[in-house]
Amino acid sequence: MTERITPAMVRSTTLNDINSSLANLERTSNELSSGKTILEPSDNPYGASQVVELQSQLDGLSSYAANAQEGISWENTASGAMANVSNVLQTVRELLVRSSTGTNNQSDRESIATEVQQLTEAVKQDANTQYAGQYVFSGTATTTAPYTQGAEDAYQGNNGIITRAVGPGVSINVSTDISSLLGNGQGSADGKLLDTLRTISEHLRGGSAEDVSALGSTDLKSLETSIDTLSQLQATAGSVTDQLQTATSRIESLQSSITASLSNTEDANIAQTSIAYSTEQAAYEAALRAGASIVQESLLQFLQ
Amino acid sequence: MSIPTLQGLQTALSGLVAEQAALDVTGNNITNSDTEGYSRQRAVLETKEPIVIPAISPLTGRGAQLGTGVSAETITRVRNIYLDAQYRTQTSSLSEASTQSEELTQAQAAFNEPSSSGLASRISAFWSAWSDLANAPTSLAAKQGVVAAGVSLANTFHELSAQLSTISTQAGAQYTALTGPSGEVQNDANQIAQLNGQIKLAEEAGQKPNEMLDRRDLLLDKLSSLAKVTVSQQADGTDTVSFGDAAKPLVEGTKVNWPQALTPAAGGKLGALLGLTSPTGALSNYQTALDNVAAALAGTVNALHTSTPFFSGATAATLEVAVTAAQVQTSSTEAKGGNDVAQAIAALRGGAAEQGYAALVEQVGAGVQAAKDEQANLQTTVTAIGNQRQSVSGVSLDEEMTNLISFQRGYQASARTLNAMDSMLETLIEHTGTGF
Repeated sequence: MTERITPAMVRSTTLNDINSSLANLERTSNELSSGKTILEPSDNPYGASQVVELQSQLDGLSSYAANAQEGISWENTASGAMANVSNVLQTVRELLVRSSTGTNNQSDRESIATEVQQLTEAVKQDANTQYAGQYVFSGTATTTAPYTQGAEDAYQGNNGIITRAVGPGVSINVSTDISSLLGNGQGSADGKLLDTLRTISEHLRGGSAEDVSALGSTDLKSLETSIDTLSQLQATAGSVTDQLQTATSRIESLQSSITASLSNTEDANIAQTSIAYSTEQAAYEAALRAGASIVQESLLQFLQ
Repeated sequence: MSIPTLQGLQTALSGLVAEQAALDVTGNNITNSDTEGYSRQRAVLETKEPIVIPAISPLTGRGAQLGTGVSAETITRVRNIYLDAQYRTQTSSLSEASTQSEELTQAQAAFNEPSSSGLASRISAFWSAWSDLANAPTSLAAKQGVVAAGVSLANTFHELSAQLSTISTQAGAQYTALTGPSGEVQNDANQIAQLNGQIKLAEEAGQKPNEMLDRRDLLLDKLSSLAKVTVSQQADGTDTVSFGDAAKPLVEGTKVNWPQALTPAAGGKLGALLGLTSPTGALSNYQTALDNVAAALAGTVNALHTSTPFFSGATAATLEVAVTAAQVQTSSTEAKGGNDVAQAIAALRGGAAEQGYAALVEQVGAGVQAAKDEQANLQTTVTAIGNQRQSVSGVSLDEEMTNLISFQRGYQASARTLNAMDSMLETLIEHTGTGF
C-alpha cells in the first residue's frame, strides 16, 4: 500500500515550499535593493568582521591622506615664507655689492642702511608666518611668534619637532629649524642672518674705511653663507613636500585596493543577484500555481 | 437441525447497524478533517458468533457454522505512538533552536553591523578625531571634536550594553512567565492530569475515549515545544510525563509536580532561555566580550593620555569621557603645538579594541548563523515527521468519500437483504397453509 496523502500534508508542504521560495526571493530582493550581500553578521560572520576591520582601515587611510594634505599645505606656507626671505637676501646682497664700491657717499650708505633695516624687519615678519593660526617656524611652540618685531632678535620658539603621520608608524617631520638661519641676533654674535644684517647696517652707518671694506668682504661672505643655509632649508622643505606627495599617492592606491576588497567582501554581484532574483521569482510563481491547483483538487469535485 | 427461520432478518439488521456506525464515524472524520490534533477514527467491524448447525448434510451428517452478521466492536483512532515520540523529540530541538535564533537575532540587531552607525564606526570616528587634533593641536575646536567623538563612542557602548541586558532580562521574564503559577507549563500539566483521570474512568468502563486521547496528545505536543517530554503509558490508560530534566515527573496520574527546577539541558524553549541567560550563556559572553573591548579601549588611550585619564570606567556600561576639551592632552611636553600624544592615540586604530570588537561581531554572526541553520534543518525534520504522522492519522477526504460510498452501498445492500428475507418469509407465511 502506498503512503496515505492527506489534504493537511499537501497544505503544509505547499505552504512550506511557498514560504521558503518567498524567503529566498525576499532575501535576494534585499541584496538587490541594498547592493550588499552582508546585511547582518550572520550572513557571513567572517566577512562581517572583515568589513568592520577594512572600514576602519579605510577611515585610517582617509586620516593619513588628510594628514599628508595638511603637511603639504604647512610645507607650502613655510616654503613661501622662505622664498620671500630668499628674495630679501638677494636684494641685500645687491645693496651690499653696490655700497662696497667707492662710488657711494656716506649719505647714500645711510639710506641703504635704512633699507637694510626695513628688510631685516621683513625677514622677521616672514619668519612669523602662520598656518591655520600656528606659527610654522616656532618648533612645537606654535602659539608663540618665533621673532618679535623691533630690536630684540632672540629666537622665541623651541627646537621641538612637528610631524604628520602618513601611515602606520610612518611620520614625516614638517618642522623647519628657522633659527639655524636667523640665529639669535647680534647679542649672541652667532654669525647667523640677523647678526649679519645688523652688522651690515652698523658698517653702512659707520662710514670708516674699515667699515666699507668689511661690507665687501666679511659681511658679503656671511650673507652668502646665510643664502647657502637658506637654500639648504628650502631644499629640505622641498623634499618633505615630495615625500608627502609620494605618501599621498601611495595612500590613494591603498585606498582603492582596500575599497576593492571591501566591495568584494560585502557588495552584491548585481548581475548574478539579478539572475538569481528572476530564477527565484519563477520558482515562487510555480509554487503558487501548483499550490493553487493541487489544494483545490479533491474526489468531491468528481462525485455526483 | 436446520437454520432458525428468522436468523436472516437478524443478520441483515446487524449489517444495517454496523454500516450505520461506520457511516457515522466517516461523517465525524469528515467534519473533523481540519481539527488540530484529531486522529482519524475507524469503526472496528467484527463477525458475530456463528451458530452451529449440527448435521447440515443428510448424507454425511456433517455439521456447519453459519455466520450471523457483523457487529461494530468499537471505534478506535488510528495513531502511531512511536511517531508521536519522535515528533516530540524533534519539536523540542526545533523549539530550542528557534528560541536561540530569535534571541540571538535580537542581539545581532543591537550590534547593528556592518553599518555607518554601529560601534565600529564610532571607534573609527574617535581615532579620526584624534588624527584631526594631531594636525591642529592648539585648536580648541579639534579638542572638542575629540571629546564629542569620545562621548558618542561611550554612549554607543552604553546603548549596546543596555540592549544586551534588556534581551537577557526579557528572556528571563519569558522563562518566569512560562513556568509561573498561571504559566503554560502549569496549565498544560493540569489539563493533562485531568484528562488522565477521565481517560482512566472511561477505560475502566471499557470505552475508547478517542477525543480525550487526542486532546491529551495535543497538549503533550505543545509541552514538547517548551522542553523535552518523555511519555510513558501506564496500564490504567494514564500517561506519566517527564519534563525537561526536572527531578520528578511533571504529571503522574492525576498528580502535577510543578514548579520544579530546570537547567539548560531541559531542551525546548525553556532550556534555550535558561542557556542564553546563564552566566556562561551566549548573551553573557557577548556582554563580557563587549566589556573587554571597552576596557582595552580605555586602557590603551589612558596609557598614552598621561596628564589625566581620558576615560573613566572599564566596562561597556560605565565607560565615560573623564576630561573637558581644555584638558585634552596633545603633547608629552609643555609645548602647546606638540602632537606626539594625539598621533600616538590616533595610531591605536586597528589595535586590540577593534580586533576584539571585530572578533565579537564574527562571534555574534556565527552564533545566529548556526542557530538559523539548525532551525532550518530541524524544521525540515519536524515537517517530515509531522507529515508521516499525518499520513497515519490525518483525515483524507478522498478516502473518506470512498468509504462513504462504500458504507452507503453496504447499508443499501443490507436493506436489500432484509427485503429478500422479508419476501422469503412472505412466501412462507402468505402462500403456504392457506387451506387451514
